[in-house]
Amino acid sequence: MIRDMQWMPSKLVPRSAPFFLLILTLAAAVSFAAVSHLVARYNANQQSRGRKLYAEGLADANAGRYDAAIATLRAALTCEPTNSQYQLSLARALRDSNDSRRLDEAESYLLALWQRTPQDAAVNLALARVAAHRGSIEDATRYYHNAMYGVWNSDPDANRKNARIELIQFLIRKGAPDKAESELMALATASPLDPAAHLQAAQLFEQAQDYPSALAQYRDVLHLDPTNAEALAGAGQAAFRSGNNSVADHYLKEAVKANPQDANSRQLLATTDLILRSNPFHSHISDAERNRRIAAAFAQAEKRLTVCAKQKGIDLNASNSASSLPAQQTRWMATKADLAHLRSPGETDLPDAIMDVVFQIEQQTAAICGPPQGLDLALFLISQKREAAIP
Amino acid sequence: MSTPEVVSGSTSQPSPVRFRSARDLFSSLEGVFNEELFFLILSVFIGIFSGLAVVCFRLAIDWIHLALLGPLPQTHTWRLFAVPGLAGLVVAALVLHLFPGIRGSGVNQTKAALYIFNGVIPFRTAVGKFICSAIAIGSGQSLGPEDPSLQIGASIASALGRWLRISREKLRLMAPVGAAAGLAAAFNAPISAVLFVIEEVIGRWSAGILGSVVLSAVSSVVIVRWFLGSEPLFRIPVTTFKRPSELVAYAVLGIVGGIASVLFAKSIGYLRPRLKALPRWTQYFQPALAGLLVGLIAFLGFPQVMGAGYDSMDQAMHGQFAWKILAFLAVLKIIATTVSFVSGTPGGMFAPTLFIGAMLGGAVGDIERIFFPHLTGSTGTYVLVGMGVLFAGFLRAPMTSVFMVLEVSGNYEIIVPVIVANTFSYVVSRSLQSVPIFDLLTRQDGLILPSLEEAREETILHVEDAMLPVPKTILSAEDYVDANARRIHDSIDSTFLVRLHPTGWSVISREQIQRMFHEGKGELTLGSVLPGQSLPTLYPDLSLDSALRYVDDYPLIPVVNRADSHRLEGVISRDSVFQKYGARSTRN
Repeated sequence: MIRDMQWMPSKLVPRSAPFFLLILTLAAAVSFAAVSHLVARYNANQQSRGRKLYAEGLADANAGRYDAAIATLRAALTCEPTNSQYQLSLARALRDSNDSRRLDEAESYLLALWQRTPQDAAVNLALARVAAHRGSIEDATRYYHNAMYGVWNSDPDANRKNARIELIQFLIRKGAPDKAESELMALATASPLDPAAHLQAAQLFEQAQDYPSALAQYRDVLHLDPTNAEALAGAGQAAFRSGNNSVADHYLKEAVKANPQDANSRQLLATTDLILRSNPFHSHISDAERNRRIAAAFAQAEKRLTVCAKQKGIDLNASNSASSLPAQQTRWMATKADLAHLRSPGETDLPDAIMDVVFQIEQQTAAICGPPQGLDLALFLISQKREAAIP
Repeated sequence: MSTPEVVSGSTSQPSPVRFRSARDLFSSLEGVFNEELFFLILSVFIGIFSGLAVVCFRLAIDWIHLALLGPLPQTHTWRLFAVPGLAGLVVAALVLHLFPGIRGSGVNQTKAALYIFNGVIPFRTAVGKFICSAIAIGSGQSLGPEDPSLQIGASIASALGRWLRISREKLRLMAPVGAAAGLAAAFNAPISAVLFVIEEVIGRWSAGILGSVVLSAVSSVVIVRWFLGSEPLFRIPVTTFKRPSELVAYAVLGIVGGIASVLFAKSIGYLRPRLKALPRWTQYFQPALAGLLVGLIAFLGFPQVMGAGYDSMDQAMHGQFAWKILAFLAVLKIIATTVSFVSGTPGGMFAPTLFIGAMLGGAVGDIERIFFPHLTGSTGTYVLVGMGVLFAGFLRAPMTSVFMVLEVSGNYEIIVPVIVANTFSYVVSRSLQSVPIFDLLTRQDGLILPSLEEAREETILHVEDAMLPVPKTILSAEDYVDANARRIHDSIDSTFLVRLHPTGWSVISREQIQRMFHEGKGELTLGSVLPGQSLPTLYPDLSLDSALRYVDDYPLIPVVNRADSHRLEGVISRDSVFQKYGARSTRN
C-alpha cells in the first residue's frame, strides 16, 4: 500500500483517450468472451447436476417422500433457477406435502410460472389444486377453467376431461352441488355418444346426491349399451336413493341378471322387494292388502322394540326410564286396540296413525340399537320417504 | 506507444493509405475527449469489468460450495461440521501470507482509498478478496458476497485509473465508482448500490460524481443480468398494506430491529479489537474456530446460517418457518456472523444483515398476528420490511435501506411500512449507539473517515447567524455629498452602506465623506465621487464559510433578500463572522 501511494499519477493526456478506449474495448470484448465461455461450461455442469437432482426429487415425490423431494428439487432449482419444469415439480411437491405453510411458497412458484405462460394448462391445474387446498371455490374454479381451455402438451382431450372431473369432485366436496351440476352437464354433453362419459357423469351426479340426474345419465348409458351391468346397478341404486322403488326393482333385477356376482345390487334388490311388499301406502293395492301390511308392520315394530330393549337392557315397563323406548311401548300398547278398527269405513286417518307408531319405533330403535335389517330396514326406509314427502 | 503502431498492429498487411486513414480517424477523435467525458466513458468500462468480475466471483462461490458441501447439504454430518473450519485454516494462511490487506470491511477500505490513499487500492486486494471470500463463503462461513464484490469493483477501478494515469483528483473518485459497480452487480440492484456508495463510501452528496456512479452501476447490472439472468434475489410473495393503523405493528418491528442492530453492532465492536489484540499465531486459528462454530450450528440442525442465506430468506418470505424458528435463526445468525467477521475472515455483512432482518421481521410479524389476528400483513411483508429495518439500524444507511427493499421487492405498496419501520430502527439504533458500525470499525483500525451521518450532525453556520441588524443610517448615491455629510453627523458609526442607482451597494467611511466635503465636492452626488466597485452581496441562507472570502476586503457586506435584492436584511462584518466562529469553537 505504501509503495502504491508513492506512485504519483500524472494528468491524463486527452490526446491519448481514443487509443485507451480502443484498448479498453478490446479488453472488454476478450473478457466478455472468456466469461461467456466460463459461464457456458458452468451452466452445462449445473444443468447436468440439476437433471440428476430433478430425477431424484421426482422419484421421492412419486413415492410420497415429500420432505426429501422438496429438498432435492430445491437443490435442482439452485442448479437451474429458471427451469419451469423444476419449479412446477417443486411447487407440486410443496402443495402435496400437506403442510399448509408450504402452500404459499408453492403458489409463489406457480404464479411466477403463470405470469410467464398464462396459457399453460399444467400450471393452471397446479394453481387450481393449490386453490382447492385452500378451499377457495372462486380461485379454484377459475384456474380449473383455465386448465380446461389452456394448452396441454399431450392428450389434451383426456386432460381437459380429467380437469373438469377434478373440479366437479372439488365442488361436490365443498358442498356446492349447483355449481358442480353445471360442470356435470358440460361433461355429459361434451361426448354424447360415449357411454363411459355418461357413466362417469352419472357417478359424479350420485356423489353430488342428485339421484334423478344420475338416473338420467345411467339411462343414457343403457340407451347406448343396454347390457352395461355397471349402469344397470347404478340406475337401480340411483332410483332406490331417489325413492323410486319400482324403477329400482326393475334395474336391480336386470343388474343381478347381468352380473350375478353383484352382491350389492342383490342386497339392494332384496330391500327394494321388501319395501314394495310391505309398504301399506302403495297406491295399487287393495284395502285388505293394505290392512294386512299395516298389521304385519305393527307386529314387526313390537318385535323390534322388544329385541332392542333387551339388547340394551332397558325395562319397557319402567315408568321413569331415561330411555324413550318405554314410552314407545306404551304408545304401541295404546294403539294396538285400534288395529281392529282398520276395516271400519270411516276411519280414514287410522292407517296413518298406526303407521306413525310403527315409524316412530323403527326410528327410535335405529337410533339406539343401530341400523335395522330385513323388514325393519324396509319400514325404516318407508318412514324416511314418508317424512321427506311431508312438506 | 503511439496510435499508428496500434492500428498497424491490428492489420496483417497495412497499406500506407489505410495507415493514414486510421491515424486521421484518431486525430479527429483526439479533440473530442476532455477529461470529464473520458471519465464518464471510463465509468461504463469500470461497470463492465466489475460486472464480469462479480459474475466470476459468484460462480466461484457456487462452485466451491458444491465442491465442499455438495449440492444437498445434510445436517448431522461431519462434512457440514468440519468444512467451514478447515476452509478457515486455508483462508487464514492466505490472508496472513499472501493477502494481508484484505482483512476487514471492503467499504471502509474503499473509503480509506478515497480519503487517505489518493484512490489507490492495490489490485492484489481484488485478487485476494476474490479468492479468500469465495473460499470462506463457499465453505459456509456466515458472511455475504456483497462487500467483497464492492471492494473488487473498487480495486479494478483503481487499477484502471492508475494504468490510464488519470489525474489524482479523478483517481480518488475511481474507487467509489468501482464500488458502486461491484455492489450493484452483487445485489442486482443499481439504485441501492448508488445510494449506498453515496451514503457510506463517499459520505456526501456530490453531483460531480453521481453520473459516473450511476453509469458504472447500471452497466455492471446489465452484465450480471446478461450472464446470470434477470431473476430477482427473492421470489416476492403477495405483499399488502391495507390499514394505516397497522403502521403501529411495523413501528414495533422497527424498534425491535433497532435493538437487535445495536446488539449485533456492539458484539462486533466488543469482540473485534480483543481478537485482533491476541498474539499473531492465534490469527491462523481464528477463522477456523469461527468456521467450527458455524459448522456446529449447522450440524445441530440449522444449516440456514451458513453462507449468505438467500435461499432461507426466500423460504422465510413464503412462511416456511414458525416464529420460534425465525427468532432462533436470527439469534444464531447474529452469533455466526459476529464470530465469522471478527475472526478476520474476508466477507461482508450485507447478506447476513438482510438475513437477520428477514428472520426477525417474520418472527415479530407472526407474534403480532398471534395477539392481533386482524393484522393483514403477510409473513412475507414483515420479512421484507425486516430486511430494511436491520439495514437501516445496523448499517445506518437509511436511504439505501428503503430503496433496497423497494428495488428487491419491486413493490411500492409497502413503501410506507418500510419508511416507518426503518425510521424507528434508525432512531433507536442511533440513540443506543452513537457511532455507526463502519465508523466504529475504521476507528478501531486507527483511521478517522468522514461520514454522511457525521455531516448530518455537524452544525453548519449560515450568514444569518453572524448577521448584524440593518444600520440606521444608509446613504444614497443619488444624494449630494453635503446632504450625506449632514446625515452622518449624528451617527456614531464609522462606516456606512451606500445604496447605488439603479442597483447595488457600496461602502464609504466617515473620513472619506468628510474629506470630500472639505475638498469642495459637496455639490456633487455621492455616486459620482464614490471610489471603488460595488460590494458583493450575500443571502441569509448561505453558508458562513462563503462570507469568509469577502470579509477581509470589505468592512461591511450587505445581506439582501433573495426575492428583492433592494431589500436589506442585515450586514456582516469581519468581526461579526469571527465572533460567530469563535463562539462555536468555544462551545465545542
